[in-house]
Amino acid sequence: MSRRAMLVFLCRDDELAERESRGFDPWSEGHDTVLLVRHGGKVYGWRDACPHHGGTPMAWRKDAYLNYDRNRIVCAAHGAQFDIESGSCVLGPCLGQSLQRVELTVSREGHIYIRPQGEEETSWQEQ
Amino acid sequence: MNIIGPDALVFGVDDVAACSQYLSDYGLKPVDAGPAGGRFEALDGTAIVLAHKDDPALPASLGTASMLRKTIYGVADQQTLGAIGAELSRDREVKRLPDGSIETVDDMGFVLGFQVTARRALALPAEAINAPYAPAGRPANVVGVDENAAALPRTLSHVVYFVPDAAKAEAFYVERLGFACTDRLLGAGPFLKPAGTDDHHTLFMIQTPPFMKGCEHFTFHMGGPTEVLQAGTRFVNKGYQSFWGPGRHKMGSNWFWYFNSPLGCHVEYDADMDLHDQSWQARAVPMSADASQLFLFQQQDKWAPGGPPPGAAGAAERH
Repeated sequence: MSRRAMLVFLCRDDELAERESRGFDPWSEGHDTVLLVRHGGKVYGWRDACPHHGGTPMAWRKDAYLNYDRNRIVCAAHGAQFDIESGSCVLGPCLGQSLQRVELTVSREGHIYIRPQGEEETSWQEQ
Repeated sequence: MNIIGPDALVFGVDDVAACSQYLSDYGLKPVDAGPAGGRFEALDGTAIVLAHKDDPALPASLGTASMLRKTIYGVADQQTLGAIGAELSRDREVKRLPDGSIETVDDMGFVLGFQVTARRALALPAEAINAPYAPAGRPANVVGVDENAAALPRTLSHVVYFVPDAAKAEAFYVERLGFACTDRLLGAGPFLKPAGTDDHHTLFMIQTPPFMKGCEHFTFHMGGPTEVLQAGTRFVNKGYQSFWGPGRHKMGSNWFWYFNSPLGCHVEYDADMDLHDQSWQARAVPMSADASQLFLFQQQDKWAPGGPPPGAAGAAERH
């Protein structure tokens, strides 16, 4: 099986507009576990897991991960704010901690993929 | 001091439109609400008040991610209001506002208001149940389930603060305002009940680092556990994110269901809280998952038992 075949499709690159976020359940866990945000033209992938509460979901409604100005990821548990590019908490209960980045693969056709479960993360310590 | 409980919580939010939609969908009624915010009332008139975070009329932010700007307590009468003003004026500024209320800060920096309560007295039945060998809660031919029941929040029950010094914070409410500690989760903080209510708590505090100071959650009382589950299920079906529950707490015995919110804190439905009087002896147990709840469930999509669904794939999925 090729590596491409093992990847999990999330969405097409042109399906995510600038300053938009979207949640995904790529490993069929029954709830969204990964979020994508397009910011400055680039797509960033993060685990939908707030580091403050042991990895609880962050949206307050399906796909609602951003503040009003759409320049921060916000955890709707206690309002923690995260830098979209680095994942670092800049305000709130998990100050000094960071979101977990997920590695994305974008195909030549503009399809965004994530690795299979268990191989999806680059550890935040390595960043 | 005859303080009844929170009449209103004031939030300075980032996204007024999103918060307004959220509170309306939660079941609060918009009153004088518009693009700049407004009041969102429970059945008895207790409320969440929204304004944009840059609204100059708001009290100052706590300087953290918390969007809570003020907790307004309802008190029994003018005499109580005068007594609170006199007591707190001894060591802090107490402002008298044009609406007749007073405003000051607690020892952690949370802005407090006190007003003669705005609650409307209501006559509403509690959820009624039938149990063997007990008098019927519902007479013959009265069905318990109403799919179209309104299941609306009745009254603002309690607010929970993250505080950097729970002992000092507790002392202020107990010694200066006559609250009593009804129970204590060691390592977290006290459940506090003001003198004007029998409810187990209207305020709970959790000790945290200073950068977390703010509101952990607020909740409104529902008419019973069925209303908690019915309103919560509707909320999930509208796309809102369940955070914790449904379940039942040990301390206070209240049923709970918590949701994420755009107000920078959790928002809960609760019902059937214990009542206490002065003879109650506060319990103290270490904070733990087991101490926090009697049981915990998680919402699932509806299904029905029966024969295997059509198709081999379907049969394989439901074993």
